[in-house]
Amino acid sequence: MRVSDLIKSSRATLKHGKMRSLLTMLGIVIGISSVIILMSIGASAQDYILSQVQGLGSNLIIIIPGGTNNGKFSSPASAQGIIVTSLKQQDVDALGRDPSVAAVTEESRGQGAASFGDNSETITFDGVPANFFTVRNFVVQNGYPFTDADVSAYNHVAVIGSSLATTLFGAGSDPVGQFIQVKNVQFRVVGVLEKKGTGAFGIDQDNLVLVPITVAQKQMLGVDYFTDVMVQANSSYNIDFAKARVQNILEQDHSITDPNKDDFTIETQQDVLSLLGNITNILTLFLAAIASISLVVGGIGIMNIMLVSVIERTKEIGLRKSVGATNKDILQQFLVESVMLTFIGGIIGIAIGGLVVGLAWLVITKGFAVPWTFEFPMSAILLAVAVSSITGIAFGIYPAQQAARKSPIEALRYE
Amino acid sequence: MIEVNDLKKDYIDEGEVTSALRGVSFTIHKGDFVSIMGPSGSGKSTLVQILSFLDRSTGGSYTFNGKKIDDLSDVELAHIRNKSIGFVFQSFNLLTRLSVYENVEIPLIYSDVDPAARKKMIETAVHNVGLDEKLYVETAKLSGGQKQRIAIARALVNDPDVIFADEPTGNLDSVSGAQVMDILDGLNQAGRTVILVTHETNTAEFADRIIRLRDGAIESDTPVHNPRHSKNQFFK
Repeated sequence: MRVSDLIKSSRATLKHGKMRSLLTMLGIVIGISSVIILMSIGASAQDYILSQVQGLGSNLIIIIPGGTNNGKFSSPASAQGIIVTSLKQQDVDALGRDPSVAAVTEESRGQGAASFGDNSETITFDGVPANFFTVRNFVVQNGYPFTDADVSAYNHVAVIGSSLATTLFGAGSDPVGQFIQVKNVQFRVVGVLEKKGTGAFGIDQDNLVLVPITVAQKQMLGVDYFTDVMVQANSSYNIDFAKARVQNILEQDHSITDPNKDDFTIETQQDVLSLLGNITNILTLFLAAIASISLVVGGIGIMNIMLVSVIERTKEIGLRKSVGATNKDILQQFLVESVMLTFIGGIIGIAIGGLVVGLAWLVITKGFAVPWTFEFPMSAILLAVAVSSITGIAFGIYPAQQAARKSPIEALRYE
Repeated sequence: MIEVNDLKKDYIDEGEVTSALRGVSFTIHKGDFVSIMGPSGSGKSTLVQILSFLDRSTGGSYTFNGKKIDDLSDVELAHIRNKSIGFVFQSFNLLTRLSVYENVEIPLIYSDVDPAARKKMIETAVHNVGLDEKLYVETAKLSGGQKQRIAIARALVNDPDVIFADEPTGNLDSVSGAQVMDILDGLNQAGRTVILVTHETNTAEFADRIIRLRDGAIESDTPVHNPRHSKNQFFK
């Protein structure tokens, strides 16, 4: 039997029972569109998350206080909420002297209320040096960033996030020159940051107050250690070499001889990107796997309908065998019908998935003004087509075998 | 052409053996028109099923065009059914969701005839039963007589050696029945072997010879001295 005859015959059968065909493929349509939507949104979310890490700056080495005990799956103690005081000014000074280091910027972070008049908001405040703005790509769109002189002189000046500016001062108002209270300390607003979204550490960077690190440490937090330190590697040095240098310097500074006992954790921006990429990939696949359960349900629906179809068309099977069809011809015919059902279901699922992903992109970018990319990965489409066809074969083979095994006499006698 | 010798068929149901054929022997030559008659349960359907390769005997031998059927595989039997046999059933067995053209095309699909060559073969077969104007009509819209003529066109399309007609007039009125017998008679007069299963004596007498079965054995095998040849309007 020619392939063209198989396709023509299957098309005629499916067309004859249009409503049944549509309802039968519904499970596959839902399954494939779910997989497409989750994989597409997963890819967009991955892009978004990675762009946030890339937005930290370039060529960065991130130092977090506390070791990981060299365990593969453990995080630094500070990341688990434990206060670790191992990173101090002498480390920053030592790192700054190394030729592989272009810049060092440190942070001492705290939380508290920021208020202006009757308006108040719980925020994260960050004590940072003046070079923080350039190293970490924080652009001041209104006003100016504070300077080294402000930091040295313990000036009470602040640069605030764009959302906080709206919350405290109202939309369209100019906060520059106004005085705000942060944790009961008065600051003069000298700049407002450009909209930046949520940062790599989960901090809403538009609801942030940046103040001189000297003020934050001495007058607000009463500490002499840093929450994290970021090193911008000299671009003429390999980043991994710079990372090794940073580790060496800190171990010397902290008198550590066994690298397994480091009281700090170093990651390059590339390490973080790779880790986050892996995590988001796994999450996307996990979600897609859950969505593919509906494909199994859809496949069972197809098998059910195909079994009914085999019974209904028993006489047709008898006739076809009486005019020369072999068991293989009958098996192929029913198998092609089920694969065609799932294949068409897959195509419709891809179209619906694309439509939903497009609508989600419109809502997220236009409605919530989040820089979300439209991702419709070719891998998801290929996977959907392959999975839907395999589903057709897997769930169509049993009914097709039942049809092929029918004795022509029994089939012709069937009423 | 067809030679059966001591042909037997036993059915075993829950250990109980029922003999449908108890040793049947006869020969049918190319171009013969043979009617097989007999009451219900006489074994005529079983005999025709074996003769048309839809079933196998449990004893004796069957030779078709010099080939021993017992030696052939199921695939080879399917191939012979496709190339050498044409079936006409009492209940037409047309696929009503398909057009006349598509129904007549079915045997050609399994004989791997090139789609481009099929059209001419289908048109000729449908022309031979006098229904050219119905070529693209859905078979569901045809009358009983027209359906049976289309079933004959389907049986003819592969130019088979033998036509098996199982009660072909059983579901038809007398006018349509006469038309169908006209066609079968014409086919035989054009040189084709026709084997007709019927319980109607009038219909059986279109043949040159009648084999009567009773209880799985041949009761009589007699020539028809004055066959009721039709007006032969289709194949003359």
